[in-house]
Amino acid sequence: MPRIGTVVAVGAAALVVRRALRRRVQASPLWPLPALDEPISGRGRAGGRADARRLTVVERTTEAEGVLRLRLEGTDLPAWEPGAHVDLVLPSGAVRQYSLCGDPAARGSYTLAVRLVEDGRGGSREVHERLHEGTEVEVRGPRNRFPLADSHAHVFIAGGIGITPILPMVRQAEREGVPWRLLYGGRSRASMPFLAEIEKLAGAGADRVTVVAEDEDGRPDLAALLAGAPPHAAVHCCGPQPLMDAVAALLPDGLTLHTERFAPAAPAPAGEERPFEVELRRTGRTVTVPAGTSVLRALREQALPDLPYSCEQGFCGTCQQRVLAGEVDHRDELLTDAERDDSLLICVSRARGGARLVLDL
Amino acid sequence: MSNKASLRPQPVASEHTPLKARNVAFDWADTPLHWIPGDPASTHTINVLHLLLPAGERWFVHVYKQALPYVRDARLRADVIGFIGQEAMHSQAHDEVLPHLKDQGLDPTPYTAQVDWLFEKLLGDRTLPPGRARRWWLLERIALIAAIEHYTAFLGDWVLNAGALDARGADPTMLDLLRWHGAEEVEHRSVAFDLFVHLDGGYRRRVRTWATAFGALVFLWQRGIRFFMENDPTLADGRATFREFLRGGRDGVLPTAGAMARSIPQYLSRSYHPSQHGDTAQAVAYLAGSPAATAAEAGTTGGA
Repeated sequence: MPRIGTVVAVGAAALVVRRALRRRVQASPLWPLPALDEPISGRGRAGGRADARRLTVVERTTEAEGVLRLRLEGTDLPAWEPGAHVDLVLPSGAVRQYSLCGDPAARGSYTLAVRLVEDGRGGSREVHERLHEGTEVEVRGPRNRFPLADSHAHVFIAGGIGITPILPMVRQAEREGVPWRLLYGGRSRASMPFLAEIEKLAGAGADRVTVVAEDEDGRPDLAALLAGAPPHAAVHCCGPQPLMDAVAALLPDGLTLHTERFAPAAPAPAGEERPFEVELRRTGRTVTVPAGTSVLRALREQALPDLPYSCEQGFCGTCQQRVLAGEVDHRDELLTDAERDDSLLICVSRARGGARLVLDL
Repeated sequence: MSNKASLRPQPVASEHTPLKARNVAFDWADTPLHWIPGDPASTHTINVLHLLLPAGERWFVHVYKQALPYVRDARLRADVIGFIGQEAMHSQAHDEVLPHLKDQGLDPTPYTAQVDWLFEKLLGDRTLPPGRARRWWLLERIALIAAIEHYTAFLGDWVLNAGALDARGADPTMLDLLRWHGAEEVEHRSVAFDLFVHLDGGYRRRVRTWATAFGALVFLWQRGIRFFMENDPTLADGRATFREFLRGGRDGVLPTAGAMARSIPQYLSRSYHPSQHGDTAQAVAYLAGSPAATAAEAGTTGGA
């Protein structure tokens, strides 16, 4: 028989241990495990980046046929410069990029314009159907991959909804008194957003702006515009790929070209794909990726058969690899802008413009 | 002879199905904190999944990428590749729930940061000499995953059949997440075990890693329920009790303790093969009608 004193001592010790344990578990739910210094989980696909914030749609207007203009309001919005875009995280979780087309000086809100793409991947349809006045939406950014270059003269070329990053550029050039010209093409005048504002900007010197509606005027005369450009002017172009290719082909010597594809994440039709080379730095080999074949497939067939991958459609992230050099045409739906700076999903993404990529493999 | 045969895993060939990842997305805006109405204890018991799976399934993918070069069987290789993509999507999908919990005043970060440490550091890659030591650590982790997958398949099969959740009016989006995930777990339930058998298959390792995984799951789960109940802003005196867990089982909104106990000898049987339990046809049928899975299907085939 244990003595009464022993029983009391053991009982008291048990109580003390229980209280001590309870206190620790309250402060640290998985005590005694430590925590990871920079937690990874719980950041969502958004990547939990500091630049993600929830904004409210405060204005929704029809800017042109099939084009919706949204004004999103929030507090402490970061400043931006013409050419910047934001990532919009749609209610379904899909992430789409839209250029900011409002006034950078209006600090409390961002303005976007979104064209409904009937046969697209559903992002623009979701914007049109699900973002109403009062809807909250997650926005990341802004970031600028298409800044306005310093120049003594500007030539702007916009195709359709590609006007969105160009418009703030035109306003800035106008404000700073830098000479500019704008060629703005579209399917029809009714479908071209911001026409009224642009014609107002053109003011008296109406030949600064050329509006070309395909149904009335046919195709824009890019050659004439570029030939008449001031020497050493900066050309900024945003629109469909064929327009940008045509501008690149016609560009006279001395002019510098800056472009932005307005659907960076949309997979290009196979006809647009070009072959390119991929250098595997650690393996010490170079592989040619033919048009119509993914980097993943080319590498697996020609060099590294055990490369991990899974979905082959750019969403699961298994095939992410580090890029050491070269410009990537990102076609995935997963990576954040920060991740895109130094990595790619090799199942869908390619080298931009058929240039060369160097991978850490 | 028959005696000897029964000591080997006995797969059921008809349960095999080709695997592919589905690009699902869920909108949590309308999901209430207690998504099983009026039953916070059971809600939080299931919510522990969201704490463990983002880091855990990310770790599966990490380990399996390293295992891929050792797979010498074409069909198993295809299975492992499909498995990796499905697990990556599970991890992403559960991770998306965590900010939603935080928005509702239940910040999961203190717990998930420790789970992150468990999978990234304790179970992560170690600086081991190439050769035997490194291979041992890889095999140990592959065996752990096989043991954990026994339980994910168990839970997947349970949630596909848990009609009580519908009857109680559980949130349809959360149910679709759990059943899409559960159905894919049932679809690929044999892959982890097949990979383990392909690379090692030792019975002692199977038992040892099962004991580790089971102990860890019990520890993580009870601490997780306790964490949620104590930090739930809507509960004045939230406490996790074993009695509530048994009650959930009786009501059919949680697996029963008896079913869990019965699943233990299944895994430890020498003739165990995951295809003996669960129903692939049921899983495939669910995926054919799941709102998230069908939307993913439409998005990947129709998208340009």
